[in-house]
Amino acid sequence: MSEIHGAVGAYVMNALDGAELDDFETHLADCATCQREVIEFRETASEMSLLSRTAPPPALKESVMAAIAGVRVLPPEVGAVDPEPVPVVAEVAPRRALDQLPVEPVEPVDPVDELAARRLRRTTRLLSLAVAAVTVVALVLGGWVVSLSQRPPVASATAETELLRAPDLKAYTIDLKDGGKATFIASKSLNKAMFSSGDLPALPGGETYQLWTLAGPLAAPTRVTPDALVAGGSAAKQWFTGPVAQSDALAISIEKAGGASAPTNVQGATAF
Amino acid sequence: MGISAVPSGPGGDASRTDPAARSEVMGRDAEAAHLAELVARSSRGHEEAFSELYDLTSSRIYGLVLKVLRSADHAAEVTQEVFVEVWRQSARYAPDKGSVLAWMSTMAHRRAVDRVRSVSSEVARDEHYAVTAVVREADHVWEHVEQKLDTERVRKGMASLTAIQREALGLAYFGGYTQTQVASLLKLPLGTVKTRIRDGLIGLRDALGVEA
Repeated sequence: MSEIHGAVGAYVMNALDGAELDDFETHLADCATCQREVIEFRETASEMSLLSRTAPPPALKESVMAAIAGVRVLPPEVGAVDPEPVPVVAEVAPRRALDQLPVEPVEPVDPVDELAARRLRRTTRLLSLAVAAVTVVALVLGGWVVSLSQRPPVASATAETELLRAPDLKAYTIDLKDGGKATFIASKSLNKAMFSSGDLPALPGGETYQLWTLAGPLAAPTRVTPDALVAGGSAAKQWFTGPVAQSDALAISIEKAGGASAPTNVQGATAF
Repeated sequence: MGISAVPSGPGGDASRTDPAARSEVMGRDAEAAHLAELVARSSRGHEEAFSELYDLTSSRIYGLVLKVLRSADHAAEVTQEVFVEVWRQSARYAPDKGSVLAWMSTMAHRRAVDRVRSVSSEVARDEHYAVTAVVREADHVWEHVEQKLDTERVRKGMASLTAIQREALGLAYFGGYTQTQVASLLKLPLGTVKTRIRDGLIGLRDALGVEA
């Protein structure tokens, strides 16, 4: 037995580190013995989970059912393997306020298989606490606030639903500089993007949040266009007005009431 | 695929040949087929099928994730991620690659360890405390016989392993540690740990009669 073959157990336990994981996955692609053991060991491991059975909090089911109502089931794979998703790693701007941006890209809501998704997660380690984009989108838009008895109607053909179902939908959740989390979802094909946040901090009078669309790399944008204004204080949801199809990044800043023509206090940005 | 009875032959232990054990095994196969059917119906958009799938599997998924993360809040979040992903991917579930439970718990374990590793890089875990806690909890689970036959079966399987195999498996699976961390915690060479994990899985697989 080759040494790499011996890693199959640790692989199934998700216990391989960095380079060895890559080596093993390369080996696995061509080793029928390891492929069979992976399948057997996964069955075995799932039996181990009998030992840790714990009833989840009852509210979780409502939350899950509300979340899936806004998520499209991916079509079956018909032979072809999905292309490897391009890791979405936003560049951090080297200049002025932009270099403090908490940029936290989340995997795009593209069809990906689990392995590809994991590779993507590996390449974007800095995601850390970010919630999976699909979940965030579903929670924010699908009805976090609704109870099981009043689930959102599945068939409501709103613009949001249309955006959520866009084949090229991308979703990113970032931590804002002065607190709060923000989610940007965007579809170039629909030329639409939306900003949403469940906990956007309130601002003192005379200040407002402002959205921006940017062209070119985040580090050195070739165009920065002022977009819609957003009020702070708890939940917020706002469509971008700008040219989404011609943009490469979205941002939010704090400005004086009425908005500005160039961002001064950038709170967060993401390439998409 | 899945678990099947081995009525006779070398390696088949006596318990698997008695009628009660066999009917229990067949019950598991029927249950596995039912879960596969629920996934298939979910893939056609039937939320009530998904709801039943959730009812039948959530304690397995949530319990595993909770065991790894040891935080109810994180566990609920990751469990929700897993179920949303199961819904999204339901049309892509491939029965020839394993049972529904194996598919789901693989996904759940992966996400749980990804989460625990990214979290622990920010909030450094007290490794010593963590490992004693995990081992103690695991021992607690393995020492107390549950009523459920299937749990007892797995418990027996775990008990049939050597102490090192059991500990290495427990730290990797329930503790979410990498093999390097397991080696460091057990003060064993990495190669030894790797071998013990694989041998432990082979031992458990054979004890449970898992077949691919």
